[in-house]
Amino acid sequence: MAQESNPRFEFRIFGINLEKLTETLDKLTPRLQTRKMNSIYLLTAGNTKNNIKIRDGIMDIKVLEQETEGLEQWNPFLVGEFPLKSDVIKTVVFPALGIVCPVMERDQYTLDQFLKEIISIDPDLSVAFVKKVRHGYMLNNCITEIAEVLVNGALINTLCIESEDPKQVLAAKKMLGIRSDTENVNYPLALKRIMGLASLSKNYWESND
Amino acid sequence: MSKEQLEIGAISKPRFEFRTFGKEFDEAAFLMSRLSVPVPEKVWERYSEEIYIVSKTNDINNTKIRDGKMDIKTFIQSVDGLEQWNPLMKGEFPMKAEILVKEVFPAFMVEMPELTKEVYTLEEFLEIINNHRDLQAVRVEKERYGYMVNDTICEYANVWINGALVESVNSESTEVEDIKKTITDLKLENVENINYLQAIKRVIGMNNKKLAN
Repeated sequence: MAQESNPRFEFRIFGINLEKLTETLDKLTPRLQTRKMNSIYLLTAGNTKNNIKIRDGIMDIKVLEQETEGLEQWNPFLVGEFPLKSDVIKTVVFPALGIVCPVMERDQYTLDQFLKEIISIDPDLSVAFVKKVRHGYMLNNCITEIAEVLVNGALINTLCIESEDPKQVLAAKKMLGIRSDTENVNYPLALKRIMGLASLSKNYWESND
Repeated sequence: MSKEQLEIGAISKPRFEFRTFGKEFDEAAFLMSRLSVPVPEKVWERYSEEIYIVSKTNDINNTKIRDGKMDIKTFIQSVDGLEQWNPLMKGEFPMKAEILVKEVFPAFMVEMPELTKEVYTLEEFLEIINNHRDLQAVRVEKERYGYMVNDTICEYANVWINGALVESVNSESTEVEDIKKTITDLKLENVENINYLQAIKRVIGMNNKKLAN
């Protein structure tokens, strides 16, 4: 069982070419583990404060608590395991998505029913099917990872540094040579950019040179 | 009747096409490179940046903008799983509202937005698209490697859809049998034919189907 911890501060970037960062990370600290996992993210254009995902039939939501020095502090809480009660969908999930909850005909929903009968028919909702291969490290007492991420079948890479102590994250960022003005991009924002729910960064073409 | 000799980059009668998208086509790309006849240097490697306009309600018109020029192709027919597309419209920005009303938006098969200007720049057109509930402008970058196998124009490509990478392989020709032989030679039998429009829709979540691998 996962150990309880305080909400962590996080810095994350996405891109196709993270080879140099991976090389630097590999030189600084050993790779500890590699995990594969599949997740389903629920996205709406208007929601920027809640990261809503389903993994292994369990839904959890991370809430953006605060932003400081370019870092984001996310506080996770468990919504529950499917089948999920309609009441929970109505009072927890849809408020987090920031859209009106549709009329529900069942008392509870399996994951399949939830996706087919509620999510897929809602024009304001998008679903990202995400496969991750996550390589874990510890850098400067920060949980650090490089991951290959398939978003609806398309590849993007990500690097993340997180810790309860924001100073340690900032120091780890420096150790990796990441510029202080590099945009911090969380999972929902990255997914929304790929799926056209959020604008690409202004220097999009340039940044992919 | 002798078949038309295809020349890469040249205008020919409408071609049939097999194309697919996925995360990995190393074997097909290797076979393509080994089976290809020499091709002109200009098609060895090409890079382009494009904007596709996708519509929730349309799967038969493919709209693409490259270097300020719009190109709409329309689906004609499918023969043995191969698709034939014909040019429907070509235009350039700035574009007259009249053309947008009569030719462009009808191709999207969506509710017509209100147009208040006589002429639209590309940026103004994209703003209309971004404000339309059923339309999306999708940034696509392509790194294409051209080949010629069994008299069919082939390519292996890295394609970034809004920044996320997929791979694509294709074979196109006016001759259906030549493409079918190429599909066999590239070991792509039983791989789904997925055109650009469908691949983009799948990646951006407008369609929940998966890519080929």
